[in-house]
Amino acid sequence: MTEEPYRWLEAVANRREYVHEQLKGGTPVLAASLAEGILLLGVGGGQSKVFELFDRHALAGLGHPADIERIRQAAIDAAHVEAFTRAPEDVSLRRLVGFGLGPQLKTNFEQIFSAPFLVELLLAELGPEPGRDLFFRLHFDGSYQTQFGGVIVATSDAAAEAAAQKWLGEMIKSNTDRTQAADLLLQAWWRLAENKSFTEALPDEAARRAGWREATKGKEIEIGWLARQSSRPARYQAPTAAELGL
Amino acid sequence: MSHSQPIAGDFLSLLAEHRLEPGAPAASAAAPVQTQATTVFGFHCAEGVLMAGDRRATAGNVIVTDRVEKIIEIDCTSVLAIAGVPATAFEMARVLQTSFEYYRRSQLQPLSLPARVRALARLLRENLPMTMQGIGIVVPLFAGVDHAVTPPEPRIYFYDPLGAQFQAVGYAASGSGSGTIRSILSFQERYGQPRPSQMGLRDAVRFASRLLTTASEFDSATGGINPDTETYATVKLLKASGVETITDAQQKEFLHD
Repeated sequence: MTEEPYRWLEAVANRREYVHEQLKGGTPVLAASLAEGILLLGVGGGQSKVFELFDRHALAGLGHPADIERIRQAAIDAAHVEAFTRAPEDVSLRRLVGFGLGPQLKTNFEQIFSAPFLVELLLAELGPEPGRDLFFRLHFDGSYQTQFGGVIVATSDAAAEAAAQKWLGEMIKSNTDRTQAADLLLQAWWRLAENKSFTEALPDEAARRAGWREATKGKEIEIGWLARQSSRPARYQAPTAAELGL
Repeated sequence: MSHSQPIAGDFLSLLAEHRLEPGAPAASAAAPVQTQATTVFGFHCAEGVLMAGDRRATAGNVIVTDRVEKIIEIDCTSVLAIAGVPATAFEMARVLQTSFEYYRRSQLQPLSLPARVRALARLLRENLPMTMQGIGIVVPLFAGVDHAVTPPEPRIYFYDPLGAQFQAVGYAASGSGSGTIRSILSFQERYGQPRPSQMGLRDAVRFASRLLTTASEFDSATGGINPDTETYATVKLLKASGVETITDAQQKEFLHD
Protein backbone atom coordinates (compact mmCIF):
# COMPACT_ATOMS: atom_id res chain seq x y z
CA MET A 1 0.00 0.00 0.00
CA THR A 2 2.67 2.51 1.02
CA GLU A 3 4.83 1.99 -2.07
CA GLU A 4 2.41 4.35 -3.85
CA PRO A 5 3.04 8.01 -2.88
CA TYR A 6 -0.65 8.87 -2.84
CA ARG A 7 -1.42 5.99 -0.49
CA TRP A 8 1.39 7.08 1.82
CA LEU A 9 0.10 10.67 1.91
CA GLU A 10 -3.37 9.41 2.60
CA ALA A 11 -2.10 7.19 5.41
CA VAL A 12 -0.26 10.12 7.01
CA ALA A 13 -3.34 12.33 6.70
CA ASN A 14 -5.47 9.62 8.32
CA ARG A 15 -2.91 9.32 11.06
CA ARG A 16 -2.99 13.09 11.68
CA GLU A 17 -6.76 12.98 11.88
CA TYR A 18 -6.61 10.05 14.29
CA VAL A 19 -4.17 11.85 16.61
CA HIS A 20 -6.27 15.04 16.59
CA GLU A 21 -9.35 12.99 17.47
CA GLN A 22 -7.56 11.21 20.33
CA LEU A 23 -6.22 14.48 21.76
CA LYS A 24 -9.61 16.18 21.89
CA GLY A 25 -10.27 15.00 25.45
CA GLY A 26 -6.99 16.40 26.79
CA THR A 27 -7.03 19.50 28.97
CA PRO A 28 -4.60 22.34 28.23
CA VAL A 29 -1.30 23.18 29.86
CA LEU A 30 0.00 26.73 30.12
CA ALA A 31 3.18 28.60 31.00
CA ALA A 32 4.13 32.21 31.60
CA SER A 33 7.45 33.99 31.86
CA LEU A 34 7.41 36.32 34.88
CA ALA A 35 9.95 38.62 36.47
CA GLU A 36 10.86 36.07 39.15
CA GLY A 37 10.71 32.90 37.07
CA ILE A 38 8.63 30.71 34.82
CA LEU A 39 5.26 29.39 35.94
CA LEU A 40 3.85 26.20 34.40
CA LEU A 41 0.36 24.97 35.10
CA GLY A 42 -1.95 22.08 34.29
CA VAL A 43 -4.85 20.32 35.94
CA GLY A 44 -4.53 16.56 36.32
CA GLY A 45 -4.16 13.71 38.74
CA GLY A 46 -0.86 14.79 40.32
CA GLN A 47 2.53 14.39 38.60
CA SER A 48 0.81 13.82 35.28
CA LYS A 49 1.00 17.15 33.46
CA VAL A 50 3.95 19.27 34.65
CA PHE A 51 7.46 17.92 35.13
CA GLU A 52 11.01 18.93 35.95
CA LEU A 53 13.51 17.96 33.24
CA PHE A 54 16.79 19.47 34.35
CA ASP A 55 18.21 22.35 36.42
CA ARG A 56 16.53 25.14 34.40
CA HIS A 57 14.19 23.07 32.25
CA ALA A 58 10.62 21.89 32.60
CA LEU A 59 7.95 20.24 30.49
CA ALA A 60 4.16 20.30 30.48
CA GLY A 61 1.96 18.29 28.21
CA LEU A 62 -1.39 16.81 27.39
CA GLY A 63 -2.16 13.52 25.74
CA HIS A 64 -1.71 9.87 26.57
CA PRO A 65 0.12 9.56 29.91
CA ALA A 66 2.31 6.71 28.62
CA ASP A 67 3.44 8.79 25.64
CA ILE A 68 4.12 11.86 27.79
CA GLU A 69 6.13 9.60 30.07
CA ARG A 70 8.26 8.20 27.22
CA ILE A 71 9.09 11.67 25.94
CA ARG A 72 9.75 12.99 29.45
CA GLN A 73 12.12 10.08 30.09
CA ALA A 74 13.92 10.59 26.77
CA ALA A 75 14.39 14.29 27.53
CA ILE A 76 15.67 13.59 31.07
CA ASP A 77 18.08 10.92 29.81
CA ALA A 78 19.47 13.21 27.11
CA ALA A 79 19.82 16.19 29.47
CA HIS A 80 21.65 14.23 32.17
CA VAL A 81 24.02 12.48 29.76
CA GLU A 82 24.81 15.87 28.22
CA ALA A 83 25.36 17.44 31.66
CA PHE A 84 27.65 14.62 32.75
CA THR A 85 29.74 14.37 29.60
CA ARG A 86 30.01 18.15 29.15
CA ALA A 87 28.57 20.45 31.84
CA PRO A 88 25.12 21.33 33.23
CA GLU A 89 25.44 24.74 31.53
CA ASP A 90 25.60 22.99 28.15
CA VAL A 91 22.12 21.51 28.46
CA SER A 92 19.96 23.63 26.18
CA LEU A 93 16.37 23.31 25.10
CA ARG A 94 17.28 24.24 21.53
CA ARG A 95 19.53 21.19 21.21
CA LEU A 96 17.24 18.95 23.27
CA VAL A 97 14.22 19.63 21.05
CA GLY A 98 15.84 20.57 17.76
CA PHE A 99 18.26 17.63 17.58
CA GLY A 100 16.55 15.13 19.88
CA LEU A 101 12.85 15.14 20.59
CA GLY A 102 11.68 16.85 17.39
CA PRO A 103 13.38 14.49 14.92
CA GLN A 104 12.42 11.44 17.01
CA LEU A 105 8.74 12.48 17.08
CA LYS A 106 8.78 13.17 13.33
CA THR A 107 10.34 9.78 12.56
CA ASN A 108 7.79 8.05 14.75
CA PHE A 109 4.90 9.96 13.18
CA GLU A 110 5.92 8.99 9.67
CA GLN A 111 6.36 5.31 10.48
CA ILE A 112 2.77 4.58 9.69
CA PHE A 113 2.73 0.99 10.92
CA SER A 114 3.73 1.96 14.49
CA ALA A 115 1.50 3.71 17.00
CA PRO A 116 1.87 7.51 16.90
CA PHE A 117 2.67 9.58 19.99
CA LEU A 118 -0.51 11.15 21.33
CA VAL A 119 1.00 14.30 22.82
CA GLU A 120 1.04 18.07 22.62
CA LEU A 121 3.85 19.60 24.66
CA LEU A 122 5.37 22.80 25.82
CA LEU A 123 8.92 23.01 27.15
CA ALA A 124 10.51 25.86 29.06
CA GLU A 125 14.09 26.98 29.67
CA LEU A 126 14.76 29.55 32.37
CA GLY A 127 16.96 32.44 31.24
CA PRO A 128 18.78 35.10 33.26
CA GLU A 129 15.92 37.54 32.56
CA PRO A 130 12.30 37.16 31.33
CA GLY A 131 13.18 38.25 27.78
CA ARG A 132 15.62 35.34 27.53
CA ASP A 133 13.26 32.66 28.83
CA LEU A 134 12.85 30.20 25.98
CA PHE A 135 9.70 28.24 25.19
CA PHE A 136 9.24 25.43 22.69
CA ARG A 137 5.78 24.38 21.57
CA LEU A 138 6.32 20.81 20.38
CA HIS A 139 3.66 18.92 18.42
CA PHE A 140 2.97 15.20 18.04
CA ASP A 141 4.48 15.17 14.52
CA GLY A 142 7.79 16.65 15.65
CA SER A 143 7.15 20.16 14.36
CA TYR A 144 7.74 22.98 16.81
CA GLN A 145 7.66 26.73 17.34
CA THR A 146 9.97 28.72 19.59
CA GLN A 147 9.29 31.86 21.58
CA PHE A 148 11.26 34.06 23.95
CA GLY A 149 9.34 35.17 27.06
CA GLY A 150 5.63 35.85 27.19
CA VAL A 151 2.91 33.24 27.58
CA ILE A 152 2.55 29.87 25.88
CA VAL A 153 -0.38 27.47 25.76
CA ALA A 154 -0.68 23.88 24.55
CA THR A 155 -4.09 22.46 23.60
CA SER A 156 -5.45 20.17 20.91
CA ASP A 157 -7.14 23.08 19.10
CA ALA A 158 -4.81 25.53 17.34
CA ALA A 159 -7.37 28.36 17.05
CA ALA A 160 -8.38 28.19 20.72
CA GLU A 161 -4.72 27.98 21.69
CA ALA A 162 -3.88 31.16 19.76
CA ALA A 163 -6.87 33.02 21.25
CA ALA A 164 -5.98 31.99 24.80
CA GLN A 165 -2.36 32.96 24.27
CA LYS A 166 -3.40 36.39 22.93
CA TRP A 167 -5.75 37.00 25.88
CA LEU A 168 -3.17 35.93 28.44
CA GLY A 169 -0.52 38.05 26.72
CA GLU A 170 -2.72 41.08 27.27
CA MET A 171 -3.59 40.19 30.88
CA ILE A 172 -0.15 39.19 32.20
CA LYS A 173 2.12 42.22 32.52
CA SER A 174 5.77 42.47 33.48
CA ASN A 175 4.83 43.20 37.10
CA THR A 176 2.25 40.41 37.46
CA ASP A 177 3.22 38.28 40.44
CA ARG A 178 3.19 34.49 40.60
CA THR A 179 -0.17 34.14 42.33
CA GLN A 180 -1.92 36.59 40.00
CA ALA A 181 -0.40 34.82 37.00
CA ALA A 182 -1.50 31.40 38.26
CA ASP A 183 -5.03 32.76 38.74
CA LEU A 184 -5.06 34.10 35.16
CA LEU A 185 -3.69 30.84 33.75
CA LEU A 186 -6.45 28.98 35.57
CA GLN A 187 -9.07 31.34 34.15
CA ALA A 188 -7.73 30.62 30.66
CA TRP A 189 -7.57 26.91 31.47
CA TRP A 190 -11.24 26.98 32.46
CA ARG A 191 -12.30 28.72 29.22
CA LEU A 192 -10.31 26.23 27.14
CA ALA A 193 -11.41 23.15 29.08
CA GLU A 194 -15.04 24.18 28.69
CA ASN A 195 -14.56 24.99 24.98
CA LYS A 196 -15.61 28.58 25.54
CA SER A 197 -14.52 31.41 23.31
CA PHE A 198 -11.99 34.13 24.08
CA THR A 199 -13.25 36.35 21.27
CA GLU A 200 -16.78 36.88 22.54
CA ALA A 201 -17.44 38.96 25.66
CA LEU A 202 -15.80 37.20 28.60
CA PRO A 203 -17.51 36.93 31.97
CA ASP A 204 -16.14 39.25 34.64
CA GLU A 205 -13.15 38.26 36.74
CA ALA A 206 -15.20 36.98 39.69
CA ALA A 207 -17.20 34.71 37.39
CA ARG A 208 -14.06 33.42 35.68
CA ARG A 209 -12.52 32.70 39.06
CA ALA A 210 -15.65 30.92 40.23
CA GLY A 211 -15.58 29.00 36.95
CA TRP A 212 -12.09 27.54 37.39
CA ARG A 213 -12.73 26.81 41.07
CA GLU A 214 -15.80 24.79 40.18
CA ALA A 215 -14.11 23.06 37.25
CA THR A 216 -11.05 21.99 39.28
CA LYS A 217 -13.04 20.50 42.17
CA GLY A 218 -11.81 16.95 42.82
CA LYS A 219 -8.81 17.51 40.54
CA GLU A 220 -5.26 18.53 41.29
CA ILE A 221 -3.84 21.82 40.11
CA GLU A 222 -0.29 20.97 39.09
CA ILE A 223 2.13 23.86 39.28
CA GLY A 224 5.77 24.00 38.27
CA TRP A 225 7.97 26.97 39.14
CA LEU A 226 11.45 27.66 37.74
CA ALA A 227 12.89 30.23 40.13
CA ARG A 228 15.20 32.83 38.59
CA GLN A 229 16.97 33.63 41.86
CA SER A 230 18.33 30.64 43.75
CA SER A 231 21.60 29.55 45.32
CA ARG A 232 21.06 25.98 44.10
CA PRO A 233 21.56 24.74 40.52
CA ALA A 234 18.17 22.98 40.44
CA ARG A 235 15.62 25.77 40.03
CA TYR A 236 12.45 23.72 39.79
CA GLN A 237 9.87 23.69 42.57
CA ALA A 238 6.37 22.28 42.69
CA PRO A 239 4.33 24.55 44.96
CA THR A 240 0.74 23.60 45.73
CA ALA A 241 -2.18 25.85 44.87
CA ALA A 242 -2.61 26.54 48.59
CA GLU A 243 1.05 27.59 48.90
CA LEU A 244 0.42 30.10 46.11
CA GLY A 245 -2.60 31.41 47.98
CA LEU A 246 -5.10 30.31 45.33
CA MET B 1 12.38 6.19 22.67
CA SER B 2 15.72 4.46 23.26
CA HIS B 3 16.77 1.12 21.76
CA SER B 4 17.31 -0.84 24.96
CA GLN B 5 16.13 0.09 28.40
CA PRO B 6 18.67 0.77 31.18
CA ILE B 7 17.74 0.03 34.80
CA ALA B 8 15.02 2.55 35.71
CA GLY B 9 16.52 5.59 37.37
CA ASP B 10 20.08 4.21 37.38
CA PHE B 11 22.34 6.80 35.81
CA LEU B 12 25.38 4.52 35.61
CA SER B 13 23.48 1.99 33.51
CA LEU B 14 22.30 4.85 31.28
CA LEU B 15 25.95 5.89 30.83
CA ALA B 16 26.87 2.27 30.09
CA GLU B 17 24.19 2.15 27.41
CA HIS B 18 25.91 5.10 25.74
CA ARG B 19 29.36 3.58 26.49
CA LEU B 20 30.18 6.63 28.57
CA GLU B 21 30.72 5.05 32.00
CA PRO B 22 33.63 6.58 33.91
CA GLY B 23 36.54 4.17 33.49
CA ALA B 24 39.47 3.58 35.80
CA PRO B 25 42.74 4.58 34.11
CA ALA B 26 45.46 1.95 33.91
CA ALA B 27 48.08 2.27 36.61
CA SER B 28 51.74 2.54 35.75
CA ALA B 29 54.80 2.03 37.91
CA ALA B 30 56.18 5.20 36.34
CA ALA B 31 53.19 7.24 37.41
CA PRO B 32 54.08 10.55 39.07
CA VAL B 33 53.38 11.11 42.75
CA GLN B 34 49.63 11.62 42.95
CA THR B 35 47.94 14.60 44.51
CA GLN B 36 46.31 13.90 47.87
CA ALA B 37 43.68 15.85 49.76
CA THR B 38 43.23 15.69 53.54
CA THR B 39 41.70 16.24 56.20
CA VAL B 40 37.92 16.02 56.59
CA PHE B 41 35.54 15.29 59.45
CA GLY B 42 31.93 15.52 60.50
CA PHE B 43 30.15 15.56 63.83
CA HIS B 44 26.64 15.92 65.14
CA CYS B 45 25.95 19.33 66.63
CA ALA B 46 22.75 20.81 68.02
CA GLU B 47 21.60 22.04 64.60
CA GLY B 48 22.44 18.98 62.50
CA VAL B 49 25.65 17.51 61.12
CA LEU B 50 28.62 19.80 60.62
CA MET B 51 31.05 18.67 57.91
CA ALA B 52 34.38 20.44 57.62
CA GLY B 53 37.67 20.06 55.82
CA ASP B 54 40.93 21.88 55.35
CA ARG B 55 41.72 23.21 51.89
CA ARG B 56 45.20 21.80 51.25
CA ALA B 57 46.17 19.38 48.50
CA THR B 58 49.67 17.88 48.49
CA ALA B 59 51.80 15.75 46.18
CA GLY B 60 54.55 14.17 48.22
CA ASN B 61 56.19 17.01 50.11
CA VAL B 62 54.84 19.64 47.73
CA ILE B 63 51.82 21.77 48.63
CA VAL B 64 49.83 21.88 45.40
CA THR B 65 47.19 24.35 46.56
CA ASP B 66 45.49 25.68 49.67
CA ARG B 67 42.20 26.35 47.92
CA VAL B 68 40.61 22.91 47.46
CA GLU B 69 36.93 22.39 48.29
CA LYS B 70 36.73 18.97 49.90
CA ILE B 71 33.23 19.26 51.33
CA ILE B 72 30.89 18.90 48.38
CA GLU B 73 27.13 19.36 48.39
CA ILE B 74 25.79 16.44 46.39
CA ASP B 75 22.20 17.61 46.58
CA CYS B 76 20.00 19.37 49.12
CA THR B 77 20.01 16.35 51.46
CA SER B 78 23.52 14.96 51.16
CA VAL B 79 27.12 16.07 51.57
CA LEU B 80 30.32 14.28 50.58
CA ALA B 81 33.67 14.90 52.28
CA ILE B 82 36.65 13.68 50.30
CA ALA B 83 40.04 12.51 51.49
CA GLY B 84 42.44 10.87 49.09
CA VAL B 85 43.16 11.49 45.44
CA PRO B 86 41.10 14.47 44.21
CA ALA B 87 41.01 13.30 40.58
CA THR B 88 39.10 10.18 41.59
CA ALA B 89 37.13 11.79 44.41
CA PHE B 90 35.84 14.71 42.33
CA GLU B 91 34.72 12.28 39.63
CA MET B 92 32.88 10.24 42.29
CA ALA B 93 31.19 13.43 43.51
CA ARG B 94 30.13 14.31 39.96
CA VAL B 95 28.73 10.82 39.38
CA LEU B 96 26.79 10.99 42.64
CA GLN B 97 25.45 14.50 41.94
CA THR B 98 24.16 13.51 38.53
CA SER B 99 22.91 10.09 39.68
CA PHE B 100 20.86 11.41 42.60
CA GLU B 101 19.26 14.18 40.55
CA TYR B 102 18.67 11.82 37.65
CA TYR B 103 16.89 9.35 39.92
CA ARG B 104 14.78 12.06 41.56
CA ARG B 105 13.69 13.58 38.27
CA SER B 106 13.13 10.38 36.34
CA GLN B 107 11.44 8.37 39.09
CA LEU B 108 9.59 11.35 40.60
CA GLN B 109 10.84 10.54 44.09
CA PRO B 110 14.14 11.08 45.92
CA LEU B 111 16.61 8.24 46.40
CA SER B 112 16.48 6.77 49.91
CA LEU B 113 19.41 7.30 52.28
CA PRO B 114 20.47 3.61 52.27
CA ALA B 115 20.57 3.69 48.47
CA ARG B 116 22.66 6.89 48.52
CA VAL B 117 25.10 5.35 50.98
CA ARG B 118 25.40 2.22 48.80
CA ALA B 119 25.83 4.27 45.64
CA LEU B 120 29.06 5.66 47.06
CA ALA B 121 30.12 2.19 48.26
CA ARG B 122 29.60 0.94 44.70
CA LEU B 123 31.88 3.64 43.30
CA LEU B 124 34.55 2.78 45.86
CA ARG B 125 34.31 -0.91 44.94
CA GLU B 126 34.64 -0.05 41.26
CA ASN B 127 37.77 1.90 42.16
CA LEU B 128 39.26 -1.21 43.80
CA PRO B 129 42.02 -1.82 41.20
CA MET B 130 43.35 1.71 41.69
CA THR B 131 43.07 1.36 45.46
CA MET B 132 44.92 -1.97 45.48
CA GLN B 133 47.75 -0.46 43.44
CA GLY B 134 48.12 2.33 45.95
CA ILE B 135 47.08 5.09 43.59
CA GLY B 136 43.64 6.61 43.22
CA ILE B 137 42.66 5.78 46.79
CA VAL B 138 39.67 7.64 48.19
CA VAL B 139 38.36 7.36 51.78
CA PRO B 140 35.30 9.61 51.93
CA LEU B 141 32.73 10.57 54.52
CA PHE B 142 29.10 10.92 53.63
CA ALA B 143 26.28 12.70 55.43
CA GLY B 144 22.67 12.40 54.40
CA VAL B 145 19.21 13.09 55.74
CA ASP B 146 17.22 10.01 56.70
CA HIS B 147 13.60 10.66 55.73
CA ALA B 148 12.49 7.21 56.90
CA VAL B 149 12.32 8.48 60.48
CA THR B 150 10.03 11.16 61.88
CA PRO B 151 11.23 13.86 62.12
CA PRO B 152 13.92 13.37 59.43
CA GLU B 153 17.45 13.23 60.86
CA PRO B 154 20.90 13.79 59.34
CA ARG B 155 23.33 10.90 59.68
CA ILE B 156 27.08 10.42 59.13
CA TYR B 157 28.72 7.47 57.36
CA PHE B 158 32.35 6.58 56.88
CA TYR B 159 33.90 4.07 54.50
CA ASP B 160 36.97 1.94 54.18
CA PRO B 161 38.91 2.15 50.89
CA LEU B 162 37.27 -1.04 49.62
CA GLY B 163 33.75 0.34 49.99
CA ALA B 164 32.54 -1.00 53.35
CA GLN B 165 30.22 1.54 54.93
CA PHE B 166 29.68 2.27 58.62
CA GLN B 167 27.37 4.64 60.39
CA ALA B 168 29.10 6.99 62.82
CA VAL B 169 27.34 7.54 66.13
CA GLY B 170 28.73 10.95 66.98
CA TYR B 171 31.54 11.82 64.59
CA ALA B 172 33.85 10.55 61.85
CA ALA B 173 37.11 11.77 60.36
CA SER B 174 39.26 10.80 57.40
CA GLY B 175 42.62 11.74 55.92
CA SER B 176 46.13 12.13 57.26
CA GLY B 177 45.12 14.54 60.05
CA SER B 178 42.17 12.44 61.16
CA GLY B 179 44.00 10.76 64.05
CA THR B 180 44.43 14.05 65.88
CA ILE B 181 40.89 15.13 65.14
CA ARG B 182 39.32 11.85 66.26
CA SER B 183 41.28 12.00 69.52
CA ILE B 184 40.04 15.51 70.30
CA LEU B 185 36.47 14.70 69.26
CA SER B 186 36.52 11.58 71.44
CA PHE B 187 37.83 13.54 74.40
CA GLN B 188 35.35 16.38 73.91
CA GLU B 189 32.42 14.02 73.47
CA ARG B 190 33.30 12.14 76.66
CA TYR B 191 34.61 14.86 78.96
CA GLY B 192 33.97 18.18 77.26
CA GLN B 193 31.50 20.85 78.18
CA PRO B 194 29.64 21.45 75.99
CA ARG B 195 29.84 18.22 74.04
CA PRO B 196 30.03 18.64 70.26
CA SER B 197 26.48 17.31 69.95
CA GLN B 198 25.28 20.13 72.24
CA MET B 199 27.06 22.95 70.42
CA GLY B 200 25.13 25.61 68.54
CA LEU B 201 26.31 26.61 65.06
CA ARG B 202 28.66 29.36 66.23
CA ASP B 203 30.41 27.13 68.79
CA ALA B 204 30.51 24.18 66.41
CA VAL B 205 32.17 26.20 63.63
CA ARG B 206 34.69 27.66 66.05
CA PHE B 207 35.41 24.16 67.42
CA ALA B 208 35.83 22.78 63.86
CA SER B 209 38.31 25.54 63.00
CA ARG B 210 40.33 24.80 66.11
CA LEU B 211 40.32 21.07 65.31
CA LEU B 212 41.85 21.78 61.91
CA THR B 213 44.39 24.20 63.37
CA THR B 214 45.47 21.56 65.88
CA ALA B 215 45.65 18.84 63.22
CA SER B 216 47.81 21.09 61.02
CA GLU B 217 50.36 21.39 63.82
CA PHE B 218 50.98 17.64 63.72
CA ASP B 219 50.40 16.89 60.03
CA SER B 220 52.03 18.86 57.23
CA ALA B 221 49.42 17.63 54.71
CA THR B 222 46.65 19.35 56.64
CA GLY B 223 46.21 23.03 55.94
CA GLY B 224 45.14 25.04 58.93
CA ILE B 225 43.20 28.24 59.29
CA ASN B 226 45.07 31.41 58.43
CA PRO B 227 43.04 34.64 58.77
CA ASP B 228 46.03 36.65 57.46
CA THR B 229 45.74 35.00 54.05
CA GLU B 230 41.95 34.67 54.27
CA THR B 231 42.36 30.89 54.34
CA TYR B 232 39.46 29.27 56.13
CA ALA B 233 38.03 25.78 56.22
CA THR B 234 35.24 24.50 54.02
CA VAL B 235 32.28 24.06 56.35
CA LYS B 236 28.77 22.86 55.57
CA LEU B 237 25.88 22.24 57.92
CA LEU B 238 23.45 19.48 56.96
CA LYS B 239 20.04 19.92 58.52
CA ALA B 240 16.81 18.04 57.92
CA SER B 241 15.72 21.02 55.85
CA GLY B 242 18.81 21.17 53.64
CA VAL B 243 22.47 22.13 53.33
CA GLU B 244 23.87 25.44 54.53
CA THR B 245 27.33 26.63 53.56
CA ILE B 246 29.22 28.49 56.27
CA THR B 247 31.06 31.17 54.32
CA ASP B 248 34.56 32.50 54.97
CA ALA B 249 33.01 35.73 56.25
CA GLN B 250 30.88 33.82 58.78
CA GLN B 251 33.88 31.78 59.93
CA LYS B 252 35.89 34.97 60.34
CA GLU B 253 33.11 36.49 62.40
CA PHE B 254 32.67 33.38 64.57
CA LEU B 255 36.43 33.11 65.20
CA HIS B 256 36.64 36.70 66.38
CA ASP B 257 33.75 36.44 68.85
